[in-house]
Amino acid sequence: MATQAPTLPAGRSPNRREVPGVLSRMRRHAADYLYVAPAIIVMLVVIGYPLVYTVYRSFFFTDARDPSWTWTGISNYTGILSDNLFWQVTRNTFVWTVGSTVLAIVLGFAAAMVLHREFVGRGLLRGILLIPWVISAVAAAYIWKWMLHSDYGLISNQLLAWGWISDALVVLDDRSRVMSALVVVNVWKEFPFVMIMVMAGLQTVPQPLLRAARVDGASSWNQFRHITLPHLKGVLLITTLLLAVTNLNSFTLPFLMTGGGPANASQLWITEIYKISFGAGLRYGEASAYSVILFLFMAIIGYFYVRALTGGGPKNEEAG
Amino acid sequence: MSDSQRRSVLSSSLDRRRLIGTVGGAAAGLALGASVAPSVLAQDGQGAQTGVDPATWNPETITAMAGTETVDTMAEMHALVPAETAGELSWWVAGPNQASPPIATQLFDEYITTFNTMWPAISLDVQNVDYNELLDKTRVAAAGGAAPSVTKFPILWGVEFAARGLLQEIRLEDYGLTADMFWPGALKSVTWQDKIYGIPTNNETMAFIYNRDIFQRAGLNPDMPPQTWDEVRQASKTITDTLGPRVRGYGMVAKQNAGNTPFRFMPLLWAYGGSALDEADEAPTYATSKINTPEGVAALQLMYDMYVTDKSVPTSALTNTQVENQDLFLTEQIAMMISHPSEYVALQSKLATLTNPEELERAQRVVDNMVYTLIPAGPVRRAVVFGGSNAHIFTDAAHGGPVDQNAAKAMMGLLTSPEWSLKNNWTDSNPSNLRGFRTPWMKERLESIRFLEVTTSMLPYGIPFPVVPESTEIMNSIIPDMLQNALSETMSVQEAADDAAQKINDLISQRAS
Repeated sequence: MATQAPTLPAGRSPNRREVPGVLSRMRRHAADYLYVAPAIIVMLVVIGYPLVYTVYRSFFFTDARDPSWTWTGISNYTGILSDNLFWQVTRNTFVWTVGSTVLAIVLGFAAAMVLHREFVGRGLLRGILLIPWVISAVAAAYIWKWMLHSDYGLISNQLLAWGWISDALVVLDDRSRVMSALVVVNVWKEFPFVMIMVMAGLQTVPQPLLRAARVDGASSWNQFRHITLPHLKGVLLITTLLLAVTNLNSFTLPFLMTGGGPANASQLWITEIYKISFGAGLRYGEASAYSVILFLFMAIIGYFYVRALTGGGPKNEEAG
Repeated sequence: MSDSQRRSVLSSSLDRRRLIGTVGGAAAGLALGASVAPSVLAQDGQGAQTGVDPATWNPETITAMAGTETVDTMAEMHALVPAETAGELSWWVAGPNQASPPIATQLFDEYITTFNTMWPAISLDVQNVDYNELLDKTRVAAAGGAAPSVTKFPILWGVEFAARGLLQEIRLEDYGLTADMFWPGALKSVTWQDKIYGIPTNNETMAFIYNRDIFQRAGLNPDMPPQTWDEVRQASKTITDTLGPRVRGYGMVAKQNAGNTPFRFMPLLWAYGGSALDEADEAPTYATSKINTPEGVAALQLMYDMYVTDKSVPTSALTNTQVENQDLFLTEQIAMMISHPSEYVALQSKLATLTNPEELERAQRVVDNMVYTLIPAGPVRRAVVFGGSNAHIFTDAAHGGPVDQNAAKAMMGLLTSPEWSLKNNWTDSNPSNLRGFRTPWMKERLESIRFLEVTTSMLPYGIPFPVVPESTEIMNSIIPDMLQNALSETMSVQEAADDAAQKINDLISQRAS
């Protein structure tokens, strides 16, 4: 079968490797597109459509009494950003996210380092430390809510019984303490996840390298600082980002333990969005605007997450 | 209220107190276990807001009318919807849960069985949804075209759905009912813009409950419960000052976004002459908030004084609902609370689950010393929330397809029948269909459920929540926020009231515009 040599465009060197066009590449990868199509379609339906719909609706006023929507432009956004409550909720969310993430990383890392050593009962201790992570968040929320109850909480009553405190320990009903208490509970729930990730990471630290360092007289601290820690950098980065995203989206613990109270002192973005949408007056438009703002924050974090995953280098894209 | 009316209320209270002092009926009540303070026999309400005439509806007349009419429910229902009717129906209801008395669960199951027996060809899908989830779940479902055919809503919620065009208009005559079969206040709660969007199923008012034993230990006269809110404050303070911080006086509830909160704060607000809008007036217009009037601020100030100044209420009031109050009451950590007549049955059920002898003895002592009395009066009036529930049919759009009208009619008819509007609310409410009061079941109920007479005595003092679509947000969100802002000292009392008034007025003006 006779074939015709491809004609080169004017000005192009015949020695230069030709980069095919987009259509050509798509044709070449037609089967690949077919394989991922179901996933893409599902994502468009369950992520793409709600996302676009949410952005669209954030420009409307909606309320409980009227099924119709009223176009209000960016007033939902300006209304939210000019409301003191938004900044209070943002501050709470920041404290919650950063506090929970940092403390869970520190505690989980420390626990992993301890459990990486061989000692009697290590397996049992590892199993016990995993319990907070595996139990249901709803169950955990209620258990802690009762333990920290201001009037018949186990912790307060026990401390009173021991004579360590003279007045009942008020935590969840005190607006200056409630966020700290929630962070502590969240750290308790999340640190085993960090522990597992770091323990997995520790398995990848090359033992010959550590042995060589020991032979060369490196101290334990120097071994940790110059060998172990650099090997765990990737794991820690990914774990931190995952935790930050999880905490930004946290709903169960704060909602069930305090409902955002007292006086919005533990209200987070997510619980506030829920309150605006369903707990108050079905103001879906305002809640959508809130969600878009949260989405933008999440997108920024997501960007860093992807960069961390891919090493931040150029895309290893196949050219032809 | 005029000065002369105010004097009338106060003198009536004094008369009652003299009566209590001389009768000493609570001593007999104590011998019987939990009791009713004699003051409940007094009647000084007008029933202007609910149309519950105290001359017609008081413990004596209710007892006299019980058992005077026999009802053939099956015949009445089949006249409405023939037995051979086929179809399908979904029904959502906040029915009995694990905390409910066993009799409530038993009667609920019996209701389902009765429906299935009456209309065997109607396929019934029942969802018993938690009270705290039903509103949100139905809001989302209705917005997405997935609402049930029929629901039973607490009295506060329906108008919001009616205003959004999600509920079908109802003609009472289609169900063999007439307006005079219901209290006017009950029908008002299902009416929006002069159209009826539901049928009342039950109505009730709460009562004031106190622990006689704690009163005695604190040096208070156990036969003389507080008659005014000021006296509640004094008694609460005395109890905590005398018995120590582990025993608080009044079981305040101020949780955000919780239905229990307005049911316990609004009686105080109305008693002082304040209101969320103007729902306590004789001809409310629901146009402007009166929550930050001097009277409204005084009511909030009383809450502040008890929580912050006196520290005579549970510190956990900011996160407590009535569920937590039950436990505090049963463990002698609070001495007074507002609740349903069913509280006695509920506490008895909790008592039955205890195994620790010490806890059992203490709980038994509490139940034996429970006393029901009228909710205290304020400077302006005695008031209580006129509560209850209504049955509604969703529109085809909200349901996501044609609602089976015959099946829905069968459910609405049975829910509001004299028999089942009574039995479905056996321990905690009254039948909205007033024929229910004349049935033999009412007689049986009066003989078996204690303290019903107290809550029927409170009915004339009932004030309905504002019948506007904003009510849910006002009561479940704005008012609890106001309480939290004041009690947590995030704002001053005046600022918290002003903030709430501003939010309410903004909300109302959005509709007006």
